[in-house]
Amino acid sequence: MVNRLLVEPFALPFMQRALVEVLLLGAVAGVVGVFVVLRRLAFLSDALTHTVFPGVVIGYLVSGESGIVPGALAFAVLSAALFTALTANRRVNQDAALAILLTSFFALGVVLVSRRRSYTADLTAFLFGRVLTVDATQLIQTAVVVVGVSVVLLALRKELVLRAFDPQAARAMGYRVGLLDLTLNLVIAVVVVAAVKAVGTILVIALLVVPAATARLLSDRLVLLPAIAITVGMLGGWLGLVASYEASINHGVRLASGATVVLALVVFYLLALVVGPLGRFVRGHRLRGHRLRGHRLRGLLPADAAAVGESSDGLLAPAGPTTGADIR
Amino acid sequence: MIFTSLLSDSYTRRALLEAVLVGALCGAVGVHVVLRRLSFFTMAMTHATFPGVVLAAIMGLNLYLGSAVFGVLVVLAVAALSARGDNASVTGVVLSGGFALGVLLLSAQAGFTKDLTAYLVGSILTVQPAAVVTTGVTAAVVLALLALLGKELVFGAFDRDAMVAAGYPAGRLDLVLLLLIEMTIVTSVPAVGTILSVALIVAPAATARLWCRSVGAMTAVAIAVGIASGAIGLAVSRQWSVAAGGAIVLTAAGIFALSLVVAPAVGLLVRWFARPKLTRQPTG
Repeated sequence: MVNRLLVEPFALPFMQRALVEVLLLGAVAGVVGVFVVLRRLAFLSDALTHTVFPGVVIGYLVSGESGIVPGALAFAVLSAALFTALTANRRVNQDAALAILLTSFFALGVVLVSRRRSYTADLTAFLFGRVLTVDATQLIQTAVVVVGVSVVLLALRKELVLRAFDPQAARAMGYRVGLLDLTLNLVIAVVVVAAVKAVGTILVIALLVVPAATARLLSDRLVLLPAIAITVGMLGGWLGLVASYEASINHGVRLASGATVVLALVVFYLLALVVGPLGRFVRGHRLRGHRLRGHRLRGLLPADAAAVGESSDGLLAPAGPTTGADIR
Repeated sequence: MIFTSLLSDSYTRRALLEAVLVGALCGAVGVHVVLRRLSFFTMAMTHATFPGVVLAAIMGLNLYLGSAVFGVLVVLAVAALSARGDNASVTGVVLSGGFALGVLLLSAQAGFTKDLTAYLVGSILTVQPAAVVTTGVTAAVVLALLALLGKELVFGAFDRDAMVAAGYPAGRLDLVLLLLIEMTIVTSVPAVGTILSVALIVAPAATARLWCRSVGAMTAVAIAVGIASGAIGLAVSRQWSVAAGGAIVLTAAGIFALSLVVAPAVGLLVRWFARPKLTRQPTG
């Protein structure tokens, strides 16, 4: 059993490289995802995964494989800047601005790529990546991104958390909230760029949002969120690859590896949906005896920030039912 | 001159008719999507109906039926899960999960890449007469319902609490709106693709928002912009032989960008010229 899960699928070098890539990305996206979920930036992440597409195409047309990453990065930065500029107009809400940026940039990429002969193959590769053809150079690039992003997030974690929960207080204390926002958006963009070529857009958005949302269901404690998100991201990546390999080799059903990883992550989310309330119920009994600790916990969570007015200024929060009914 | 070439043969005439119908339908529904900030939800719907299309194709059923069933499932899933976490993350989870399920189903079949591309960016030039008829019927039904319920839907968008207090069934009206959005997506996606349908829903309405003060005028302008984007985009695509779906999206986005600059009251040009006057006033 252990042999079948750990050794057999990863005997081939390309499976080893795919595993390392997925584990690296699962870890870094788990940490960044915690901020994505706390700040409700899921739509921004989704938009960034699409807006880098024309950059990928132009980079490839200009200087082949080596042009992809710089091209994608340039377009990620451009779209982050345009998004900021668009929302300065009071009649354009953030939600609509993101949707228009996303679709128009993606369409630009489609128009550019539609002039090439291998149109459909290129598009599919961009959307789903080719995790099984990851090479050593890409692994090194991903590792560099992991280290860089970890350093930035560690250095700024206090400020970013403060900004997520109470932007007014952060501003009053003299922090540059705009600069913090830009930093976080760029960190998300860098992760997207690092991941898009290897695993495709859909898997990137799944890696960023699903593990962190799972962690959020399981825990109310901020220190635990990144740990759980990393674990879920890495486990999902590994199990997804194993399942895809197992089905393709031993059962003759071809399963796309990227999509299998996403579904493995979604299974964890659904499990957390069931397990989360149980754990909270048990802990709830324990906490009632420690009122002080209860207060501290309450102060940590975005539901309170929402009550103070975070959601009312339209931070990508749709007008529907909002957050945190689950927090006691 | 470019436009006359669109009427030259039967398949481009069909494509033009489809583009005009979808443009009008999406423009009208888009007003409510923009007013209620449902763009991300719309995006998730377009992606998550994908497994329905694949399943229907595998089982040989009607594509519209498959995606409609999955669309309803998505509406229910987002509504049920939103009570437990924040809306944006739930939408993200449903979006990626639904789409991945579709890809997984598709990858188990042969001949995978071609269908997928058509689903994403559409192939409006090969649209079938039956699809055009379906779009026409849906457009008529949706527009009639929007006209009937317009006042109530706008009330709900601006002040839901007041609406509940006034005794309207707010929850049921929300559900009706979500189902109208779903109908629009289900009819337009097989013909024009996911990305195009989101663009045609959001961009014309956001453009109209820049020009108009009243919701009625906004709806009229959104429909006009939707139709114009479809027609101009098709002409551009034919002239320079680029992907039709991409050209239509870029036209809609171009009209939006132009409006950002020249629209009265909020446009960049007007604000630029108005600024000196405003700053001088207090002193003089």
